[in-house]
Amino acid sequence: MDPFLTSRIVTDVLGGLTNGVIFGMVALSLVLIWRSTGVLNFAQGAMPMFATYVGFALLSYHFGYWACVVACVIVGLLIGGLTERLLVRGLYGKPEINPIVVMVGFLIVLEAVAAAIWSSFPRSLPTPFSFKDWQLAGKPLALSPFTVYEIVTALIVMTAVAVLFRFTKLGLQLRASAVAPEVSRLLGVRVGRLLTLGWMLSTVVGVITTILVASNLFQGLTPTVMDGIFAYGFIAAAIGGLESPVGAIVAGVLLGIINQFVTDYVNQNAVIIIALVLLIVSLMIRPSGVFTKRSERRV
Amino acid sequence: MVKSKTRRVTITGTALLLCLGLVTAGTSIVGAGAATKKVPGVTAHQITIGATEPVTGIASSGYNQVAKAANAVFKYVNKRGGIYGRTIKYVIKDDCYGTPGFGCTGVPNTATQTHALLGIPVFATVASLGTPTQDSVRALLKGDGVPQLYVASGSQDWNNAHQYPGLFGWQPSYNEESKIFAKYLTATYPNGSVCFLGQGDDFGTDGLAGLIAGGITPTAESLYSVDALVASNGASIAPYIQQFQSDKCTIVVLDSIPGATDAALGAALQLSYSPQWVISSVGSDPQTVDAPFVGKVPTDPEIGAISFSYLPTTTTSSPWIPWIYKVIEADPADFPGFTSTSVLNGNIAYGAAVGVAFVEALKANGKNLTRASFLKTLQSVTFSQTPSLVPLRYTASDHQGLNGGYITTVTSDSAMKPLTGTVYTTDSSTTGPVTVAKTLSSGIPAWLK
Amino acid sequence: MKRDWTRRRAPLALAVAVVVSVVAVVAVVSATTTREGVALSIAIDLAIACVTTLSQPDLKSSHPVVSRAALTLLGLDVAIFITFFLNSSTNFNLATGAAMSIVLLGLSFLTGASGQISLGNGAFMGVGAFAMAIWSNHHATTPIFLTLLIAVGCGALVGLLLGLPATRLRGPYLAGMTLAFAVAFTFILSSFSSWTGGDSGLQLPTEASAPRWLDGFFHAGTSPLTTTTLYITDVAIIVAGVAFFFMANLFASRTGRAMRLIRDNDVAAELVGISLPRARVVAFIVSSAYAALGGALLTLINNSVSPATYSFALSVTILSLIVIGGIGTISGAVIGGIIYAFSTNVISWITTQTGLNPQGNFASQLNGIIFGGLLILTMLFAPLGISGAVRHLWSRVRARTQG
Repeated sequence: MDPFLTSRIVTDVLGGLTNGVIFGMVALSLVLIWRSTGVLNFAQGAMPMFATYVGFALLSYHFGYWACVVACVIVGLLIGGLTERLLVRGLYGKPEINPIVVMVGFLIVLEAVAAAIWSSFPRSLPTPFSFKDWQLAGKPLALSPFTVYEIVTALIVMTAVAVLFRFTKLGLQLRASAVAPEVSRLLGVRVGRLLTLGWMLSTVVGVITTILVASNLFQGLTPTVMDGIFAYGFIAAAIGGLESPVGAIVAGVLLGIINQFVTDYVNQNAVIIIALVLLIVSLMIRPSGVFTKRSERRV
Repeated sequence: MVKSKTRRVTITGTALLLCLGLVTAGTSIVGAGAATKKVPGVTAHQITIGATEPVTGIASSGYNQVAKAANAVFKYVNKRGGIYGRTIKYVIKDDCYGTPGFGCTGVPNTATQTHALLGIPVFATVASLGTPTQDSVRALLKGDGVPQLYVASGSQDWNNAHQYPGLFGWQPSYNEESKIFAKYLTATYPNGSVCFLGQGDDFGTDGLAGLIAGGITPTAESLYSVDALVASNGASIAPYIQQFQSDKCTIVVLDSIPGATDAALGAALQLSYSPQWVISSVGSDPQTVDAPFVGKVPTDPEIGAISFSYLPTTTTSSPWIPWIYKVIEADPADFPGFTSTSVLNGNIAYGAAVGVAFVEALKANGKNLTRASFLKTLQSVTFSQTPSLVPLRYTASDHQGLNGGYITTVTSDSAMKPLTGTVYTTDSSTTGPVTVAKTLSSGIPAWLK
Repeated sequence: MKRDWTRRRAPLALAVAVVVSVVAVVAVVSATTTREGVALSIAIDLAIACVTTLSQPDLKSSHPVVSRAALTLLGLDVAIFITFFLNSSTNFNLATGAAMSIVLLGLSFLTGASGQISLGNGAFMGVGAFAMAIWSNHHATTPIFLTLLIAVGCGALVGLLLGLPATRLRGPYLAGMTLAFAVAFTFILSSFSSWTGGDSGLQLPTEASAPRWLDGFFHAGTSPLTTTTLYITDVAIIVAGVAFFFMANLFASRTGRAMRLIRDNDVAAELVGISLPRARVVAFIVSSAYAALGGALLTLINNSVSPATYSFALSVTILSLIVIGGIGTISGAVIGGIIYAFSTNVISWITTQTGLNPQGNFASQLNGIIFGGLLILTMLFAPLGISGAVRHLWSRVRARTQG
């Protein structure tokens, strides 16, 4: 067989892709909320974490994996919608720091409540997919049924979001109410309802990401499972530009691949330092993200 | 305007003088409390001791049971009248392992919580957990003359009687454990190729030094970073395992915490790499290690791994195992739902054993308890009726604690058994030999039964 | 004419008051033999001197710096006097709170006065903490205050390095950059483990101990811990007082006014000739220097430093504390520092009062639930924090009594 596919470079690219799609999804969910409501959602990791705990509590009643996934998504929709209605609604138009602080508070509360109810001991989320890498000529290819499931799921979610925004009337309204809420309101769009919908959508993207992360082989679901990943997702979103879903995904995937190469060729400690340098350099060149269309500041 | 200003000043001035007056009154009260000579934390009916433990935060999972289990032993003893009529009050403070997590906002660090314990005051700290955390309060406790007993960590920092006369370790050092592993590995796998992965602090470096002192030269050796492990949710371990696989190592020694053990076992599973695992007692507790694998893989990947134990394993007929079950079951407040069929994991067994060590030392000290008398007892008595495999013995110059145990193998997702049952003992030096232990500890003292 | 007279009168009053109090102290010292008497008289005299000065009409508008100095002196006097009567664990908490309030002050200035968001102040704090530990391990003989200044310098330098790219960034991007720095900080520490001591961190070579004369104030047999803690606490309080004095002047200065204008309307600020990038860099440097000072003090207080302390969560804690205290205000930093110092005590008190099992799951998470909940409630119902809420209530009470 072709030794190229099991070479160090391909292995790193594939490994990086697996992490990268996760970063991309987190970045995408952040962008969805930022674009529609101008809120930097620090609880973007914690809200789905909570939903996943609730959904997978069903596992102990011997419901199957897919039933639990559906339950998680429904709980995610509820949490996303309720958060927007009850917590965030009053904060639109306030200084930038207000929603940030509220969401930080929400993050702290959710993690504490999850640990109080389910303890911080890791829980296993079994999936129907094998974790064993496929072998080529006796050497492992950096892909397993589980990683393929991970990547494919991420691609489906990303495509679905893109289709929704580009090709549906709902998507058009979502975009319109984000860009010009007053005009949209005049045109009969129910902006309030759409904002809620934006949060629900973003939380569902987050729930799917959390399930993928927590079903990973060597770790389970813990209240802090998304903390590290959230940081990378946020960095990716800032590099790509908070206005651009495509930028978020591309930056996330690239960040994942670069991380893998740095881990392999430099060392683990350098990973986040390189990410910081990348972020600073890219922001020096494009202060509003690489993929954001250059626009004059409103005066 | 002028009037209101004058009024404000008058009010401020009056308030201030009032305040000072109150404080002056306070002076006389404080001054009146003349110091009578008594032992801090000890009354005729009670001994107050303390500990700092990670009750919340990243290090809390599993480790938060250690102090609770020790406390279960104290509650058991208290229910039977205490030691010489004194009951033991154990004050556990959360130091979040020095890491201010989201659940630990406020004052998270070990020094603050230790100060709080000193303010109670406590007779001693018992089984406080962690190497960096306890290192950071050594000087503080020494300065106040508070004994720092049975520190829950295998660092050699606790064995420094010259500089810290009140500081005592308990479990065997990482170095001793590795030397015993080396003895076993060189005898059992003379042609094996050994790779080593350790934690990037003295846990890893002492462990590696012990292996080398025991005559093993690893083919590859790496140290992982705990920060990267946490930030990457374990993914940072995979490259090392990949390296070990391409180096064709048949034996992999892990000096890792449970989370890192999981990451290593998982990465190997993914790569279809199955070396003989040798896992330090710190990161091998079967129940903890198996947690993330439940239902994901058909069998626990840790089964068959070699480990080390300085306490009798639950599969043996040691009388201490049913005794610990009895003690833990009697404490439903801290261990709800624990029954005779529950798993007695390594952290609970550890905590209970340390608890026993302390009450036995109190008993040996006799009724007249001072800090000096207690330290003298600790350094002169050999505790041979204690849960550990080898007797617990300190000397005036050796404060490390236990110095031996046996090689075990993981048999299921919740248990391990001794491989041969031979108990070895050694020391932390590079030249000290690993020998078969001559005396073993035996039975439960009658007053504890 | 009258105005001129008052203008000259205020500094004169301070001078007279200080001289009088010195004379009084000398008189009392020669008369009494007890050290407590001496301490008490010094404290009272100093307080009277300050109050006399503060009671000058129009002092605040004619001599703002003198007024602030007197106020700071008065605050220090009362605070230090009180520390003599507290037990060592309360004092230790106070010391930590004082160190934290300095950090909060820096962030209050950055976010409240210039409108920039920083999630990296925990890391800047770490810069100071490690600078302090590394310097004292290499030059153990340097006096404490000089080492503190070196740590502040390091903090300012790192602030400058990060502040330069930050000038071009707005809101969320700045938050992103400072977040990345906060997360990366512990890894940067690990990369230089030969300097920073790796995961175990560093210990100070010698424990700061109280000078001999302080021992004399206590009854024989008072433990060295009590005197040492008291000494360290008072050092921390004095450093905090100086830091507050400088910040109060900065807030009121031309620079401070320029910053507030930038926060409220950056376009208008540019139109009146304020250099936006320069003002932003200055704000960033000031804030990180203050954070570094707080961190360095914390190293001194704990006698050691561990990298785990300076994780991202600390930055979040700092932001939360200043929000609850009152962002953009000086009193908010004091309130935040007090909350930081005593929250653990309050929470364990709640645990005992409610009869929860202290080792239970719920009790151990109570901290996070209360703290996070407080943060949300503050932002939703009192966005200016406790300080803002109190001020609001006060003005309403005053309006009612006068109207």
